[in-house]
Parts: sequence; C-alpha cells; structure tokens
Amino acid sequence: MDRLVFLLATGVARGAVFALFALSLVIVWRAARVVNFAQGAMAVVAVFVAFGVTAATGSYWLGLGSALLTGAVLGVVVERGVMNHVPAGNPLPGMIVAIGLVMVLQSGLGMLFGPQHRPMAAPFDERPFQVGGVPVLSPYDVFVLVVAVVVMGVLALLFTRTSLGLQLRASAFAPEVSRLLGVRVPRMLTIGWVLSSAVAALAALLLVPTELGLNAHSADMLFVHAFTVAVVGGLDSPVGALLGGLVVGVLMTLVTGYLGATVAPVAVLVLLATVLLVRPAGIFAAIEARQA
Amino acid sequence: MSHHRTSRCVAAAATALAVAALAACSVPEPEAEAAAAPGVTDTTVTVGTHQPLTGPAAAGYSSISAATKAYFDYVNDKGGINGRTIEYVVKDDGYNPATTQTVVRELVQEDEVFAVLNGLGTPTHSSVLDFLHQNEVPDLFVASGSTGWNEPETYPNTFAFNADYVTEGAALGQYAADELTGKAACVLGQDDDFGTEFLEGVELALGADGLTDVQTYSVSNQDVTAQIGAMKAAGCEVVMLATVNGFTALAIGTAAQLGWFPRWLSSSSGGDYPTLVGFLGEENGPKLLQGFVSTNYLPMADDEWVELFRQINDDHNGGAPFDGNTIYGMSVGYLFAEALAMAGEDPTRESLVEAIESGKLVGNGVVPLAFGPDDHAAFRGVGITMVNEGVQDFVGTTYSVDAETVEAVEPQPVPLENEGVPAP
Repeated sequence: MDRLVFLLATGVARGAVFALFALSLVIVWRAARVVNFAQGAMAVVAVFVAFGVTAATGSYWLGLGSALLTGAVLGVVVERGVMNHVPAGNPLPGMIVAIGLVMVLQSGLGMLFGPQHRPMAAPFDERPFQVGGVPVLSPYDVFVLVVAVVVMGVLALLFTRTSLGLQLRASAFAPEVSRLLGVRVPRMLTIGWVLSSAVAALAALLLVPTELGLNAHSADMLFVHAFTVAVVGGLDSPVGALLGGLVVGVLMTLVTGYLGATVAPVAVLVLLATVLLVRPAGIFAAIEARQA
Repeated sequence: MSHHRTSRCVAAAATALAVAALAACSVPEPEAEAAAAPGVTDTTVTVGTHQPLTGPAAAGYSSISAATKAYFDYVNDKGGINGRTIEYVVKDDGYNPATTQTVVRELVQEDEVFAVLNGLGTPTHSSVLDFLHQNEVPDLFVASGSTGWNEPETYPNTFAFNADYVTEGAALGQYAADELTGKAACVLGQDDDFGTEFLEGVELALGADGLTDVQTYSVSNQDVTAQIGAMKAAGCEVVMLATVNGFTALAIGTAAQLGWFPRWLSSSSGGDYPTLVGFLGEENGPKLLQGFVSTNYLPMADDEWVELFRQINDDHNGGAPFDGNTIYGMSVGYLFAEALAMAGEDPTRESLVEAIESGKLVGNGVVPLAFGPDDHAAFRGVGITMVNEGVQDFVGTTYSVDAETVEAVEPQPVPLENEGVPAP
C-alpha cells in the first residue's frame, strides 16, 4: 500500500507536466489545425532564455517571465514567418516544415551552447513531504501541480467566458463565417500560436529541474509523451489533455515500479493503440461535425 | 511461340553474360592490392571513427574523439610514427545505428581508411561489425564495454578497448564483499547489454542470491524515482550502478531528495567525477559524491600520463574541459600509435592486427593488456577508485577477473617514456 501511494504521487507530479504540454498542443491544434512537431524545440529555446536571465539576475521568477515572453514571441515568429507561408488544406506540409524547424532550432542551440546538460535549480525544495512514513509530493511537485491547474483554469475561462475566447473558437471552427461577422481570423490564429507556445515553454521550464538538466534535447521525450497524451485525450479537448496527462504519468510510474522500466514505454503504446482502436478521435473528442 | 521463347532465352543468357563480365571488371587487380595498404601513403596513415557528435548522446561522449585527435596532432608535431603523420577522420553518427552504417561505409569506401578506431557505442558499432569483417578492415579498440568485441574466431579483426561490463561488475561486487561486508547490496542497471552483463559480473562475485534488489531504467525516461524508491524500501545499503553518467547523477540526486544516502559503486562508464559534478551542480555535487566508488583502468589524478595529457589538451585541444573522457581519448590514441609503430616500416592491415595479437603492446593502463591471438579484450581487470574531498583517485585495490574467479592483484602502472610517443 505504501508503495502504491508513493508511485501514485510520483506519477501525478510527472503527469501534470505532460498535461500542461499536451494542452499547448491542443491549443495550437484547435486554433490552426496543425500538429506542431516543433513545439518541444521552441519550448527549449525559451528555457535557454530563462536559464540565461535567471543566471544573470539571480531571480527564478524573472526567468519564468522571460520564458513565457520568449515562448509568446516565438509563437508569433513561427506563425507569421514560417507557418503562414505553408500551403493550407493539407496537414502534411505543415508537419514537415515543423520537423525542419526542430532540426534548425536544435542544431542552432547545439552550436551556440554545446551538447552538455546544464543543471537548473528548482525554486522550491525537491525533497518530498512524508505522510505516514511514505514520501509523497515535494513542495516543487505541488508548485508544478498548482501552476498546471491555474493555467488550465485561466485558459478555460478565457475560451468560454470572454469575447476573445469566443472569437478564437469561432475562427478555428468556421473561419469564413467568422470573417463575414467581423472577426479578424488571421489575428486569432496568431493569438492561438502565442498562447500555445507560451504554455509549452512553461511546461518545459517546469520539467527541466527534475531531469538531467538543460540541453537542446531536453524536451524531446516530453513532446513524445505529451503528444501521446493529446491523442489519447483527444486533440480537440483541453479536459482530455489534463486527464490524459495524469493517466499517462501514473501509468508510466506504476508500470515502472511494478513491472520494470523497459515495459513502461510499451504500456504507453498499448494505451495509445487501444484508444485509437476504440475511439480514434480520443477519449474526450468533441462531436464529429467539428472535426473538419 | 517457341521461336519467341528461344529468343527470350538468348536475351536472358546475353544479359547474364554481361552481368558476369561487369562483375569480373569490378574485381580489383591482384597487383593493386600488394602495392600499398588502403589509407597508407609515404607520409600519412588515415584512420576513421564513428562518434556521437550531435544528438542526445553527444553530451556524454563528443569530447572523446577531439582528445584522440589532439593526441595525434601532438604525435604528428613530433614527426609522426615511422615518418608518417596520423590523420583522424571523425564521422558523426548521432548514436543512431542506421547513420553509423552510412558513415562507416563512407569511411571504408570513399575515405579508404586504414583502420576504424574506437567506434563508439554498443548498438551503433554492432551494426557495422559484419561490414568491417567482410571488408577486412581492422576494427580497433571499440569504445564500449560489451563482451561482443572479444570474439576472435568470428571477428578476427575486432579488438575491444574498455574493460568489459562483466569485469567491472565482478570487481565492484568483490569490493562490496571485501570492504562493505554484510551490507545489503543492490544493482541499478540500464535495460540492455550494459545492465545485464554488469549484473552477471556482480553475481559472479556475490553469488546469484547475494543481491537484495535489482532495478532497471530505460534511457528514454529520465525519471528514476520509482526505482530509487523501491531500493530504499528494500533496505539497500550498497547500490552498484550500471548507469551512464547522466543516470548516475539522476540516481544520486533522486536518492538525496528522498533523504536516502547509500554507498554508491559505479561502473567506469558512469563514474567520471568532473562529469557528474557538471550534472549535479558545483554546489551539491562535491557533497553528494564524497566517498563515491567507481572503477578505472586508465591513469588518473596525479600521474605523469595525466600531466602530459593536460599539456596536450592545452596545446592541441584549445584547453577544452579536462575530464575522464579526455584521458580516455588520448589513451586510445596512444595505444593505436603503439600498435602502428609495432606494425613495421610499411604497415599493412595484416601486420597491424598481428602487432596487436603479438601480446607485446603495453598501453598506459593500470593493469596489463590482455591482447593475444585468442583474446581480443584489452583489460581483464580494473582498479577501484574513490572520491575524497573532490579528488577521484585509485585506492590501491585492483581486481583481475577471468571467466570463473575474481582475485585481488597488485596494480601495474606503466611508466611514461619518450614523451608519450611510442618508439618504433
């Protein structure tokens, strides 16, 4: 029982970061109907900026702010500078351009900063609280969970309770009609990229202190796992991203703990295959009419 | 109808003849081969390697080939070996076996290298083992501790460099039995040959039931909390690690977060102190690594070889960070230079392999080289090292391992001669 509690707590902490990153993939998919394969590389660029700012000023919070800002700016640059020029109507060119962007960004970071991992300090203690002798969440894990929940709450409010959110949703689902009704669709598209890219930067920034450290590939596996989460939950569904993230995080930790590390990626693939067979659009996918 | 068939037969026969003729044309003239060995001219010897210079594995290994090249530059400045300079062609394979196959084909067929030296990685190098064998290219001093490089019957031109993982596991297991008697011992290993062969070695020393817990990790998941938690709960007091440097740091860091401080005994592949401090940070690294035990078979700390290598690193490698990889890369270069010097005035691929199999190579390790006609392993023993107040050095305990037994032996360091340039 102790062991189960320990593994569940570890899995939840990990799943929160997956969920946040998956949410960023959902946002950009909803806004632009693009699976952004460059999301991880873009997020790492933002984390490098945060690392530099934190090193220069000594403040984690300034670093966090600069990561969000860099993420947002990168969103504009990539959307206006690159993705806008990709032919629409077919998802493949966008994906291929995004993969190319990954190579450019990762090679650039490698050339500028070398291949070594740079340790990043967490802003809170990483030693877990003990509950009845069982180590559970650390203060940093709690911080990550709170940030994830707050960001999701704010985005949910934005999308469902504000005029901007309504315009964002409208231009994503019916661009022509929205344009006729006076919504500035291209601007909404850019805002979608900005939100998505900033959230991705935040997720990567939260992840790096718990892993080996910062290098150009720090978000590679995060992207892979979050992509799985987004597909499992439904690329259209923010709720799916949240629950999917927790499910995948807990599943990986439980399987690692009880069956071994080698089986964990297999378990995630089995989950993915099962969901795709039973509910191809994802567990929390919206109604069919919105798919087009 | 039958006429039609006949003409088709003729056409097919003609095609077959043409193919046979083409094939005959592509067979090299016997005289051409006798003239000079591939990659050897009057003034140069060209050797090649495949290394991860980019991608996720670059962080741990990209500095090795630069160190080897720096050593060759040093030797070349001193006149080379038998009047020939050593040219080192380094190809990036990104630790991807598919890429390794491409770049090694380039090395052999386009660059026409004399030998492949220190190809890095078990999965990567395994993918070119047969190709190198079929092309009869000397495949020297593979940078991996797999036991697969020591198969002289199947791969007569392939030679290992690292002490293999079985040897390292057995030495650490024996050290735990001798010095940490009665403490609960556990193993954390990578979920591939590295982990399984290391575990085999540990069990050779401690017996199959001598371990309290065995955990594995996968390089695709940088969260080892579940495994560390399990070992802590199992009551492990000594943890032997078959981990690469990054995961050694993750294991130690994660355990510290859980408030758990067992004795760590690590394979040399993941036991380089400067690299580990790089991962753990200047502030916490030295504290967490006090008393950290690892193995090594190359010179370290205050040694005349290390002094020379530091100088070469400053002069020919732009003063790059000096760590275990630097010493490793230069030691590989030294061993190759020694083999080349012994291969004669006009080295051929055959004479190079013969020189290594002669058993006369000395190298610069702390245990004698094991090379011989029936043995293509470099080191059959390792020395135990420990970190004390920020300095990692041998403690004097050295183990020699053969198929059945592990025994303590005296270290036999090789004195530095002729300024580190092998004399013919």
